[in-house]
Amino acid sequence: MTVSNKVLTKKDISAMAYRSVFLQASFNYERMQAGGWTVAMLPALEKIYKDDKEGLAAAMTDNMQFINTHPTLVPFLMTLLLSLEESGSDRTLIKGIKVGLFGPLAGIGDAIFWFTVLPIMAGISSSFALEGNVLGPIIFFAVYVGIFFMRFPLARAGYELGTTALDSLRESSKKLSRAATILGTTVIGALAAAYVHITLLPTIELNDGITISIQEAFIDKIFPNLLPLAYVFTMFYFIRVRKVSPTILILVTIVLTIVLSFLGIL
Amino acid sequence: MQITLVQGILLALACIVIGVDYWLEAFFIFRPIIVASITGLILGDLKLGLVAGGLTELAFAGLTPAGGTQPPNPILAGVMTVVIAHTTNTSPALAIGLALPFSILMQYVILFFYSSFSMFMARADRYAENADAKALTQLNYLTTAIVAVSYGVIVFLSAYAAQDLLKSLIDILPVWFIHGLEIAGGILPAVGFAMLLNVMLKLQYIPFFIVGFFLITYLPIANLLPVAVVGLGLGMYDYFFVKSDDEKAKGGVQNDGI
Repeated sequence: MTVSNKVLTKKDISAMAYRSVFLQASFNYERMQAGGWTVAMLPALEKIYKDDKEGLAAAMTDNMQFINTHPTLVPFLMTLLLSLEESGSDRTLIKGIKVGLFGPLAGIGDAIFWFTVLPIMAGISSSFALEGNVLGPIIFFAVYVGIFFMRFPLARAGYELGTTALDSLRESSKKLSRAATILGTTVIGALAAAYVHITLLPTIELNDGITISIQEAFIDKIFPNLLPLAYVFTMFYFIRVRKVSPTILILVTIVLTIVLSFLGIL
Repeated sequence: MQITLVQGILLALACIVIGVDYWLEAFFIFRPIIVASITGLILGDLKLGLVAGGLTELAFAGLTPAGGTQPPNPILAGVMTVVIAHTTNTSPALAIGLALPFSILMQYVILFFYSSFSMFMARADRYAENADAKALTQLNYLTTAIVAVSYGVIVFLSAYAAQDLLKSLIDILPVWFIHGLEIAGGILPAVGFAMLLNVMLKLQYIPFFIVGFFLITYLPIANLLPVAVVGLGLGMYDYFFVKSDDEKAKGGVQNDGI
């Protein structure tokens, strides 16, 4: 691998920072931001893979996997991964780093933007607006335009980190891929516990008028996220072993939840 | 004062743009402080818009979509608080409560999109396998356009054409149906994770899945960062202390030499 495989220019990186706005364009519960995430990186990926249609297909397919991260911070992760794609890194390494980083990035972004910046800006701008002062919405808008343009330095930083870190890491890429998969798998375990929620509502009435909840008295005694864990691996079984299409699993899940909600079980 | 047809159309057009901004979380013009001010401007009562915006913004400051949950819709809250205060001459503070059903209706519409757009993902996978960049991009335009149009229609109906009808619609929807959709939102990610595991999981990695899963299950941690740090530690241990198959093979050759 030589310097000659560098195809992305500064302009491409800036263009990608703009396109990162697509992130939630096809948001849905199953893959969350995967569609928009892939589309945001597409021009850069097409440039990297040029005539290599199979390479592009592999990159697109990997990127269509579940992702949920923070819209403002996401350019950093996108360009970091693009620098890995550009240098022809192992797909396992790219996947592992992506899955390992998107969750923490979402946590940092939510903490900064939703739980710190927004309450502060809401308080300041509302105090102006309540006096009928038009500065309220104007200050609010100006700050968020500034936040939007943070995407550009973030995109450059991610790309630079990727390219400088790569040289020192390339020699041991196979071991690195395995380490990245370990990081990724640990985070998927955490994601499953954090995002999948199943709580049984039924209670049992004992003869002395005491009611006990099936969820609390039985399931949580085994371990609290037993049902989410079981459901994830049931889905995994149907996808890997029975080769059932995810679309059918989604339909079944939606119908099942509405029926179980009607019956008062969920 | 009544809303005119032109005002109704202007509100709908403004909310198409604002709705897309909320969908993408780009410039935050979807917050009530901005939405209500713009609504006030369109209705010719900027002062009312500002005051209503300030009040609604404070009421909605704690309701965020962080972590994937969908709060009552801030755009409909902003628009309808001003519209109701303007048309019925109620105080903005009271209008916030009266606007809430519209805000909840739009929340349900978005929840419905979150569930139903899952159905597009099989098609997106096919485009990815065929490296069809154009089709995948168009699919993302399509979903965004569906959201944009529904904002336009619902805001037009709410503000101008059919306020009462929409209010009764919210009463008709059975609780179990809405509850079921909300529950589905908590279970559908399981399918996404199962697909992720299908790509990444080999038997020998299961211990790490278990570590991540039970850390989140038993520790009261607010985000995934601590778990990622543990994962990083495990990965580094593997990197520095566990030999790969290649190295073992090399080691074997060296031993033969000795």
